[in-house]
Amino acid sequence: MPHRLVIELNEMNLEAFETRVLPAKNKLYRFALRFLGNEEEAKDVVQEVLIRVWNGREQMNEIQNWEAWCMRITRNLSLDRIRSMNRKHTQPMEEAFHVLHQDLTPHEKTEQHESMQRINVLIASLPEKQRQVIHLRDVEGYSYIGICETLELDMNKVKLSLFRARNAVREKLVKINAYGL
Amino acid sequence: MDSKKLNELLEKYWACESSLEEEQQLHEYFRTNTVPEHLKETAALFHYFDDNKKKSVGGAAFDQEVLTKVKAEAPKKGKMIRLVYNSMRIAAGLAVVVAATYFIRTEIRKTTPQVMVDTYDDPKLAFEETKKALLMISKSFGRAETETKKIDLFNKATDEVKKKETNEL
Repeated sequence: MPHRLVIELNEMNLEAFETRVLPAKNKLYRFALRFLGNEEEAKDVVQEVLIRVWNGREQMNEIQNWEAWCMRITRNLSLDRIRSMNRKHTQPMEEAFHVLHQDLTPHEKTEQHESMQRINVLIASLPEKQRQVIHLRDVEGYSYIGICETLELDMNKVKLSLFRARNAVREKLVKINAYGL
Repeated sequence: MDSKKLNELLEKYWACESSLEEEQQLHEYFRTNTVPEHLKETAALFHYFDDNKKKSVGGAAFDQEVLTKVKAEAPKKGKMIRLVYNSMRIAAGLAVVVAATYFIRTEIRKTTPQVMVDTYDDPKLAFEETKKALLMISKSFGRAETETKKIDLFNKATDEVKKKETNEL
């Protein structure tokens, strides 16, 4: 029965969607958050990406690296949102960071929180490409090839961007250490 | 990890020459050790990366939200079926338009029957005009007749010439 076949195929796809696509949601969310700096908007973007993937599921088998594909859609949608909001910079968010060492004194906790806040602002102020590369490498632990595929850049550009990003961060950290700035 | 090894790894990290495994070792080190004063900010950087990795968009509630939206999307039919379906829709639309035009046209024709409209109200004037028109036609006929007479004359002349020629032979 052709009707039953259609239903079965749809169910199969829904299952594949749940097991293959949905688990990438947090990665997509973090990537969107890196651009938008706003949790609600990042969540909206992830939902939109997932629905787009579902609607384009017929081509999904043709796509070699669908995670990179999802990440690219996330990036494009996030950038569209930034443009439409006419924001020049991503707003670095005021975050509540988890305190990593439970045995810290209240003073140390505040200090650590401040350091993280500074780093957040610092990374948010990096040029867009550098921000994407350092996020994929240092937060998500992507290989260089993975970054190339996701951002559609060649290896040299990825390495150069990462080098510049890390060095910008390092310089700032050295200054903070030396002058407490 | 001793401080020598740590510095070595950090230098590689800053130069972007470290592998993913080595970077993982650095994350691990900063996660589990209290670090010297001069590395506090570097430790904060690694804590920041680790912390970011923990961010999540939401658990089962989010999944459910997405799946509900996804299920609400109408199931897509096969390409051929969709193509036929769409062309049938267009054809049906066209048929309706053609039928409507036809019926409206016949309706209009029925309600406004074609009437012969007289040019003149006064019969005398009409008679004069008709006469004028007929005269014009007859004048043209007359002219045509005189013209054909000329041709006739020419034909007769050629006949005469031919006759004479045969007689001479």
